Amino acid sequence: MGNAADRMAHIKPPRAMLVKFARGSMFGEPGNVKRQRRIILDALEALKTMTEPGTIQELPYRWKRPDPE
Amino acid sequence: MDLDAFKIAYEKWVAESLPDYRAGKMKEIIKKYPFIAPDDIPWTVYNGQPSNQTFALVTSGGLYLKDSQPPFDTESIHGDTSFREIPKTVRQQDIGIAHLHYDHSLTEQDMNIVFPIQRFVELENEGIIGKLTDVHYSFSYVNDAVSLVTDTVPKFISRIKAAGVDVLFLVPV
Repeated sequence: MGNAADRMAHIKPPRAMLVKFARGSMFGEPGNVKRQRRIILDALEALKTMTEPGTIQELPYRWKRPDPE
Repeated sequence: MDLDAFKIAYEKWVAESLPDYRAGKMKEIIKKYPFIAPDDIPWTVYNGQPSNQTFALVTSGGLYLKDSQPPFDTESIHGDTSFREIPKTVRQQDIGIAHLHYDHSLTEQDMNIVFPIQRFVELENEGIIGKLTDVHYSFSYVNDAVSLVTDTVPKFISRIKAAGVDVLFLVPV
């Protein structure tokens, strides 16, 4: 995972999910169990769908906003 | 990756950045840090099924077991290249945080936002992932990439290989 696109472009992780959350809150607000689970399930899916080295997928979740259906 | 060239640049950075580090001017020192750029992107094709594989979790949130493990060194400009092993049965009240460079207040409410171990346990219980290792890993703030790469990473890799890990999930802070 990562939250800084510029830093990730430099580090070049093999496969990664990008979130729009601040440092120390990579899974969003505390206690949002449903979102924490979704992000992990997104990552499990990405294991299968990411076929190119260096793929970074931005996730749609935003701080204190409802998650997309 | 030219580790020898990095070491020279890093030692220069330490000498030049120490006054700013001691003054807490983190944005200033990070601007000058000689980040290592990898030569290429390491890649392992994924052909498995999560439901029959072994998973482990890594955080760089500075988490440690406050009753049984020493905290990370938060004073040195080099950071702390050691890691702590965190059992999957860990509870929120077992966790201490030794990392000065992010706001801990939310992690103190819910460790899962940097170390989603309880969600992974649920996925193991549901059979969505095959196995979650008994032990997981926490790192903290690190600047000394030389010691990290030459000393810590080989030790870390031997641990995860011994645990039979197929997929390692990394959560930075």
